[in-house]
Amino acid sequence: MNKLLMFHGRECPHCIAMMPHVDRLEKETGVEIERLEVWHNEKNADLMRAYREIIEPKCGGQLRTPTFMNTETNDILCGEIKYEELEDWATK
Amino acid sequence: MKKFWRCHVCNDVHYGVNPPEVCPTCLVKKAYMEISSEEAKKISGRSESTVDKVDFRKAIEKFSEGNQFQVNPDKKRVETLLEGIFNCEKNHGMKYCPCRLITKNFEDDLKLVCPCNFRIHETYKNKEDGECWCGLFIRRQ
Repeated sequence: MNKLLMFHGRECPHCIAMMPHVDRLEKETGVEIERLEVWHNEKNADLMRAYREIIEPKCGGQLRTPTFMNTETNDILCGEIKYEELEDWATK
Repeated sequence: MKKFWRCHVCNDVHYGVNPPEVCPTCLVKKAYMEISSEEAKKISGRSESTVDKVDFRKAIEKFSEGNQFQVNPDKKRVETLLEGIFNCEKNHGMKYCPCRLITKNFEDDLKLVCPCNFRIHETYKNKEDGECWCGLFIRRQ
């Protein structure tokens, strides 16, 4: 089963802006996205770094936040995006 | 390869491939000679200067003056970012961008210290409404 992750930073404005979209997505579609804060949780940070080779090519060569990742398909989205784009990614 | 250089007149320390032609502090020409990193640490370690959030805010305003970019006028966003930048310094040692995770390779992570070299990034370069990745700096309108 696909596991959907959101790597985010507590003080990252892009992440803060995306949170209402994630809440809405979960409420409207029933999918679950695991939120993993990376600047104040070293375990989460290490997990994001472990996916570095998958994330960086799709996120401008960096470990940007927020990064949305499907751990089965390695389908990645990063940055502030529209709700519809997030929904397409989460429900395909 | 970058090295440390010391002005033999006023003890300014420079870190770079080449020494400055003119010392920016005492204005003496050809005043620099190479020193060891240990000597550089001893000299720079004598400074007790600190940069708090107010100082940093002033510094980024000064940094932006006369440039094609400015500090984002969105005060709430800037406040959030400064909180993150200072938490990064407290928890991870440097004022890293709160919107990109460090790799734990020090040389690579220097590229994430705020202000980063955002002028070459695709979020800023050749974009009329360009901004650095976190949005602390935006192209001056």
